[in-house]
Amino acid sequence: MVQGGSRTRIHCLLLALAFVPGSSRAQTASPTDQEISNQKTSDREISEQETIAQLSEQIKQLQRQDRDLLDRIKILELKQLPASPVAEVGPATQPTPAQPPLAQAAEETTPLPTPASAPHDWHEVHGIQWRGFGEVDYQILNQRTPEFASGGFVPGSAGNFYTDEFGLFLTARLTDKASVLSEIIFQEGDAQSYSVDLRRMLLKYDYNDHLKMSFGRYQTNIGYYNWAFRSAAWLQTAADRPLVMQYASDGGLLPTQAIGISVTGAIPSGKLGLNYVAEYGSADTVRPDLNGDNQVTDENNGNHVNVGFFLRPDAYPGLQIGASYYHDQISNNILEAVSGDPVPPVPGFLPPSTRYGQTIVNAYAVYVAHGIEFLNEGFLIRQVMIGGSLHFDNPAFYSQFSKQLGRVRPFFRYQYVNANSNPNSIFDDVGLRYGPSFGARYDLNSFIAFTAQLDHTARGGEPDLNGLQLQFAFTF
Amino acid sequence: MRVKSIATLLLLGLAVLSLISKGTAQDADMAVVVSSSNATTNLSLGDLRKIFAGTKHSWPGGKPIKLVTRGSGCPERGALLRLLAMSEGEYKQYWTAQVLRGEADAEPLIVPSIGIQKEALILYPGAISMVSVRDVKPGMKVIKIDGQMPGAAGYPLR
Repeated sequence: MVQGGSRTRIHCLLLALAFVPGSSRAQTASPTDQEISNQKTSDREISEQETIAQLSEQIKQLQRQDRDLLDRIKILELKQLPASPVAEVGPATQPTPAQPPLAQAAEETTPLPTPASAPHDWHEVHGIQWRGFGEVDYQILNQRTPEFASGGFVPGSAGNFYTDEFGLFLTARLTDKASVLSEIIFQEGDAQSYSVDLRRMLLKYDYNDHLKMSFGRYQTNIGYYNWAFRSAAWLQTAADRPLVMQYASDGGLLPTQAIGISVTGAIPSGKLGLNYVAEYGSADTVRPDLNGDNQVTDENNGNHVNVGFFLRPDAYPGLQIGASYYHDQISNNILEAVSGDPVPPVPGFLPPSTRYGQTIVNAYAVYVAHGIEFLNEGFLIRQVMIGGSLHFDNPAFYSQFSKQLGRVRPFFRYQYVNANSNPNSIFDDVGLRYGPSFGARYDLNSFIAFTAQLDHTARGGEPDLNGLQLQFAFTF
Repeated sequence: MRVKSIATLLLLGLAVLSLISKGTAQDADMAVVVSSSNATTNLSLGDLRKIFAGTKHSWPGGKPIKLVTRGSGCPERGALLRLLAMSEGEYKQYWTAQVLRGEADAEPLIVPSIGIQKEALILYPGAISMVSVRDVKPGMKVIKIDGQMPGAAGYPLR
């Protein structure tokens, strides 16, 4: 057994000796060309695999960096907002809280559907928020008798294009409570001339929700329409403003603009949602006559007081009910529209120095919610001669209903103005006017709307007036 | 015996259904969240509407309110539009009008994700936002609406 085992070990040793020299030779002998080629191929494959692995790792690193950078950009954008006029100034002066790890924010970041609207950053340049509004109109009337027309429409024409108002709206925040607002209007006039009107320029100070003050040129808060709809046609459902709410420079009856102070705020009233507005200033209105006599009335308004209240009850979202009282003193000073010279006095007419106390009472109820717009406003404009018994009452109202149906908003409006036609009345050029308007607004997108509107206006002592208005209104 | 078994099964089924429906309702509730430093713990639905309509601008202590919203297509946006009774188009037009009236400086901040929404709540001490209750993150302070927390019966925001 022992011998057998020794024999086996000897055989193994011999076998090992037989192989060892060969293997030793293979290791120490010079390689053949084939072996070298194989070796190089093998090395190259290993190198390529390593390169691919490295590149793959680099791509992953770049992707991680990209994600981190995107998150950093988003957070930086958020941090920058406090310094812009669109946000409160507070955060800029307050300690910035510690940021969580970016990776955590990235993990919590979930992709969203593509935003439907343009980024709001477009409207901010060096701390100034801006917006632009414009319109292109076409109007045709069935009566060629010249009437006053504004905005570039040629009175007495068969129909023509005009651009009416192009507006630039600028705001800038000065502190967390103070800001500046301005609205610059370029309005088309006769022969495609354009005039510039600083329609609003306000230094605003919002102490809190109960006391918000504005100093400068403001749009008077007589009624709802003048507050809700500023110059931009794009904001309106109809192609034009109701006659009583037209800007005074376009023949409207109300003192729509004034320079002074306007204060508004909420009155603690629980679910009633009571608010107030109080204004003191001067409108200094010059309004053109509507009857095409090329005359204007310089009202030389004294300082006015305007006080109003409105409710926004919690129980009926979208409902607003309000009333206002306005008082000032005015003249019936008639001037030539082009030259500005006084019109020679006519026998029987009161002298231009005659002053009237003007009181404007307004009440309204509007509902804007669930796609419904239902506006109802009534006015009584009363002018009483100071030192005399002569007085003129001028009632007016309008009602407008519209309903959003997809992109289309059909609307119907009825308006009524019964201005006193006494030759001494300031609104003798207006007289009785009433009638319906109907049409539809089509929103092509979030920035452009097309409106088609038919008007029928009955006029006291004049033929009825029928008109078609087509309008592209846009914001940018 | 058989009738008793069927009745038991029916009762069990009803119980399961009620649990499922309760769970679904809780999931669908929309939490109103503010910065953790905000002392407010409760808002009435009316005040919440005023805040998101931009007619109420400051917290009781005077801190300015910063509206943080999600973009169109998100459940949070849907809840916001239902709160204001507006369509998406009306909402955009409304805010443009608010800016033009001088009632607001700009449209509410739109954030693209829950993570950024949380960041905004940290950055702006006066921030307020809406978030689906299942997406509420640490650092978001949920406040009661009309005295109710999300998930409670009768909670008004879905």
